[in-house]
Order: sequence, then structure tokens, then C-alpha cells
Amino acid sequence: MPLAWTSRSKRFEKEALPHLGALHRMARQLVGATGADDLVQETVLRAWKYFETFESETNCRAWLFRILRNAWIARWRKSRLELPLTETESETIEPYYDWEAEFLREEFSAGVKLALLDLPPDYRMAVLLADVEEFTYQEIARIMECPIGTVMSRLNRARRRLLQLIQAQHEEGSAEKTVPLPEQIPRRKL
Amino acid sequence: MMDCKKLREVLDAFVDRELSPDAAAQAEAHIAECNRCRQAVEALTKLREAVRAAAGRPEVPAHLFERVQSSLRPPWRGSIAVQAIAATLLLAATLTLFVPSVRGAAASALDYLALKLDDSRPVVLEGKLLCRDCQLEKEYGYHAMCPQTGHHGAIVTSDGRIWNLLEGEKSQELIHNSALLGRRLRVQAQMYRKAGSLAVSDYQLL
Repeated sequence: MPLAWTSRSKRFEKEALPHLGALHRMARQLVGATGADDLVQETVLRAWKYFETFESETNCRAWLFRILRNAWIARWRKSRLELPLTETESETIEPYYDWEAEFLREEFSAGVKLALLDLPPDYRMAVLLADVEEFTYQEIARIMECPIGTVMSRLNRARRRLLQLIQAQHEEGSAEKTVPLPEQIPRRKL
Repeated sequence: MMDCKKLREVLDAFVDRELSPDAAAQAEAHIAECNRCRQAVEALTKLREAVRAAAGRPEVPAHLFERVQSSLRPPWRGSIAVQAIAATLLLAATLTLFVPSVRGAAASALDYLALKLDDSRPVVLEGKLLCRDCQLEKEYGYHAMCPQTGHHGAIVTSDGRIWNLLEGEKSQELIHNSALLGRRLRVQAQMYRKAGSLAVSDYQLL
């Protein structure tokens, strides 16, 4: 049954609900498949409540992702009494990375899923917003309520951290194949 | 001209297409000539694609879509029972307005309801003192015996109701003094709706 009982709901149905899939994809990455439904529902209810304040000419998708993030942080606060990003952030970019590492030439996409889970949540969100949802830095800054410089440093650090994690997986994998001696048990280089 | 150091600083912004056109052109010129930087761009692009693949497609489970839609619907809307009640009331209201027999039944029902809700209470009401029997003769053709038995005063209110006056000290004049007939008055009384009667405790002629 369509939500056709007021013009507000018609507008909401047209502008907000098409992004439900993208919201759910992000929610799955943030809280896992089991919590994703609740987080998306909470996001939609909040969006519906404040829909009057949303201006049509602005980006509804970015607005929804911002609400999703706030709903997610509120849940996090309730359950853990601390913010998702616990690291001290600085806005410095770390340009130096060994882009000639061997594993980069191989197929490494299989390890990305696991590596994403190991990223600090706000880094994970920044990467997903940029790489999957293809938001601009400006939009990500609005969604994550931080300066553009912080977005850039988060993306930079997050991607290099991802590569380090994948590399560690590779090394663990190849080490397992060669049966390591006890004193050579590989450690993640982080 | 952009060098390796500068390119590595803007590598993410370049891959994310966030560089200004000028800076992007300089970066491209450098990448065309530098294998190591090209390798870095390719690796980062590959990582972006891998992240996108890992996130999967934007899908909404059917049950979630249902859940979201029902949570946005006002709670009284979706209920079939409520819709049935609303339809019945609408039908009843239409019949009451347009079908005389139903209108009579509805009026009786309302009277009954009023009686139940408001059986006896003190009231102050205004009206005209008229002879009850003559009034019924005028309205319904009742054969009044007033020439033989004398008039019988009653109060007719503006809604057309004829209120009987119960015999009492204060009501004697009103019931039996036909000189007062036709006068407007205000009475304080106990109303007995079941009997359509008033027990007058006081009155003022207006």
C-alpha cells in the first residue's frame, strides 16, 4: 500500500525512500547485518520527523546519510558510552606509502571485506561514503559534521590502513603456507 | 610541473576527482611520465573498486521496506476494523438524513441516549407559557377539551418542545391562570426528561 495519505508523505516517498537501499548497505557495514534493519528504520523515522526542515533543492541522499550517522552515534553512546572514533585525529596527510609493495600487483579484493571491519568506524564510514556512495569531500564533511581537512586525512589514513591490513592478511596467508617456526609466527604490522 | 612528492600528497584527491582542473592536468602530466606514481594511482584506484565490491549492492530486504512503510502510516489508518466502523457510521449518517423512517429511528435513539445521559437535573430555561392541549390541537389536530375543562399551561421552548408543568405551589398560577397564557417567562426547575416535565421552584415573567 503506497504512502499516499498526505502530500508530505508523497514527497517523502519520492525523495527519501529511493535511498533506502544505500542506507541499508551503509548500515550493514557499520553495525552488521543483524543491527542494520533497526538502524535504517530509526534513520527513516528521524528523517520523517524532521522532513519539514529538509529543503528540497538540497541533496536528500546526503541529508539521510547524516541522519544515519547521528542515529548510529546515538546508539553507540547508549551502549558504550564513548564515541566510535577513539583515536586522536590530526589533519596531517600521510603521503608516504610503499606503493611498490608486491601484493598490490596481485588480486587483493577478497581481503577488503575483512579489513574494512578492522578499521575504526569513522574511517570506515569516510571510505564508504567516498568510494561506494561517491559523495564529494564537501558532502562527506557535511554528513560527518567535520571540516574538509578532516575528511581528507580520514580518507588518507583509512586507505593506507586498509592496505596495511590486507598486506598483513597476505603475509599471514603465505606464512601459513610455509609452516612458520614458532619464533617466526607472523604478526600484523600495524 | 608536479613532482613525485607533490603528487603523493594529492594522490587521494586526484583519484577522488577532487583536484581543480589545473592541478588535475598537472597530475596527469606527471603520471604520464612517472611509472612509480602511475603504479600508485592504479593501486589506489584498485582499492577503491575493491571497497565498492566489498560493500555490495544497495538492496532493501522486503520485510524492511514493509516495516518502514507501516511505521510511517498513521496508526489508525491501516486498520480494517477502523475503516469498517467509519464506513458504517457514514452510511448511518446518510440514511438518517435522507430516509424518513431511519430518521425517526435515529431521533428515538438519540432521545433514548439523551434520556440515559440526562434523566433529571436542575435547569433554568426560557420559553412561552401556552396551553398544552390547545398547542397539541394546533399542531396535531388533537381534540382539546379546554372549553369544558379550562386551559392547562405549559412551557414551549424555542426548540418546539412542550414541557409539562408538574402541580406544585409555584406552578399553580402558571398552569391554571389562563390570563398568563402567551407570556414569555424564565423558570428555575428540576427537569424530568422521562416525563417531559418540569417541577418549577421559581419563575419570572419577562
